[in-house]
Amino acid sequence: MTDRAEVSTGVGARLTLARWNIKSHGIRSAILRYGLSVVSVALGLGLSLTLQYYQFRDVELPVFDMSIALTTWYAGVGPSVLAIVLSTACFNYFFAEPIYSFAVSSSDLPYFFVFITWAVIVASFAAVRRRIEENLRQARDHLQVEVEQRKRREDEIRTLNKELVMRATELETSNNELESFAYSVSHDLRAPLRHVVGYSELLQKQASSLLDEKSRRYTRTILESAKRMGNLIDDLLAFSRIGRAETKNTLVSLDQLVKEVVAEIRLDTGGRDIVWKIHPLPVCYGDRSMLRLVIGNLLSNAVKFTRMRARAEIEIGCADGEDEVEVFVRDNGAGFDMQYVDKLFGVFQRLHLPEEFEGTGIGLATVRRIIHRHGGEVRAEAAVDQGATLYFSLPKVQDAAERTANTL
Amino acid sequence: MSELARILLVEDDPRDVELTLTALGEYNLANEVVVTRDGEKALDYLYCRGEFSARSQDNPAVMLLDLKLPKVNGLEVLQQIKSDERLKLIPVVVLTSSREEKDMVRSYKLGVNAYVVKPVDFHEFVNAIKELGVFWAVINEPPPGSVKKAP
Repeated sequence: MTDRAEVSTGVGARLTLARWNIKSHGIRSAILRYGLSVVSVALGLGLSLTLQYYQFRDVELPVFDMSIALTTWYAGVGPSVLAIVLSTACFNYFFAEPIYSFAVSSSDLPYFFVFITWAVIVASFAAVRRRIEENLRQARDHLQVEVEQRKRREDEIRTLNKELVMRATELETSNNELESFAYSVSHDLRAPLRHVVGYSELLQKQASSLLDEKSRRYTRTILESAKRMGNLIDDLLAFSRIGRAETKNTLVSLDQLVKEVVAEIRLDTGGRDIVWKIHPLPVCYGDRSMLRLVIGNLLSNAVKFTRMRARAEIEIGCADGEDEVEVFVRDNGAGFDMQYVDKLFGVFQRLHLPEEFEGTGIGLATVRRIIHRHGGEVRAEAAVDQGATLYFSLPKVQDAAERTANTL
Repeated sequence: MSELARILLVEDDPRDVELTLTALGEYNLANEVVVTRDGEKALDYLYCRGEFSARSQDNPAVMLLDLKLPKVNGLEVLQQIKSDERLKLIPVVVLTSSREEKDMVRSYKLGVNAYVVKPVDFHEFVNAIKELGVFWAVINEPPPGSVKKAP
């Protein structure tokens, strides 16, 4: 569609130019141009003869010069040469002695010489003028084409803009739909779940004396499953909220964040022997609460997967890249098979059995989502039973603002 | 309807009503509860109109309000109560499944007295309801014009 529009505007532009040229330069066809030459010399001859008839002397040369000038001006170089030849012949035949013959007496030769020189000068002036005019015309055509192109580009920009506005509206609509979807999930999915849990509890309470051990296990399983589903829903909602939430970007000290998170985790891991190796970390540009969630998820993962170690070692540090910093969290825990590394950051993807390590499989998906929103990347290295290292990169402070602006 | 009702429960889901009443029953507060199943009925109760035109003029000591209700939703009920001179003193506790910030902000802006997210875990749910009931119906001194505690 755009191609066709382009072609038609191109043709239109050329047509307008052609029309313009014809109007300003009058005569384009060769017959007309040479015709003009003959006619103007004939008129000059008529005028000269008339003037001579009324006893005016020696006016024929300026009159012929005028004819030549006129021809040169309007018809170009070729007709002007014809006009010079014709004028010379007429002058020779009608005005130079002997009259009515093409013979030339030697005393008249200077006349001819002056006349022809004069005519050539006039013709060359006219030719120069035509050349300049030609250049000007080319420049104007060029400008005109440029104007046309600019107009076309403006049209394109306008069309694109319109499309963009439409796309933005669509996005907004789908975002609103998503939001109301998440909203009804949070409302309507929780209620039946609460009832499952509530009535199972009531059943347990009312009938526990009547139930045998097997039935009691069944009700327990119902309860646990329903609670697990509750956790899944909560996590999923939190995950979707991260995608929708607006980020408030500031300078964030990762050192400070790690310190806070570690202090929080220590409260829950009182009985365990955990060695924290914390190297200096940089200041980043991003949303503090989201980055805190990243650090929190990575560190609590490290704590979780080192549970079976007598002495857990967790190391946090960073490597300075060219335009980004890469932070790593290394542990000596369960690790995982690198074959499945692609699944690690997926939603609800788990690489361990629920009875080994609890969890919903949303933590690292959240980490990845947040880091992507900050313009960074995540990756992991591990081996089974050899511990794991999780990396995330963030743009350096100087170009962070620019890159997050592009990704958000 | 009980003349003594000090707790007005506005809840459309019958199972939630039953679970809430069970929880309140553990503190013998169940017979202090009036249940309305939508926002329109709740306003009827407060304004003593329709089927409630015969009740005494006293306000309940607390109102437990769900947000997602048929006809008139919880936020609309809340807005109506808080913009009415006679009703705005009634303590209103929003009791909802929604943890959405939007709902919380809107409720607090309208002047809600407390916002409680119904816990999925039944024990937590029962505890939350019990504490709510005890606090608002027993410990808290309700504004003048509310139903008096049974002696």
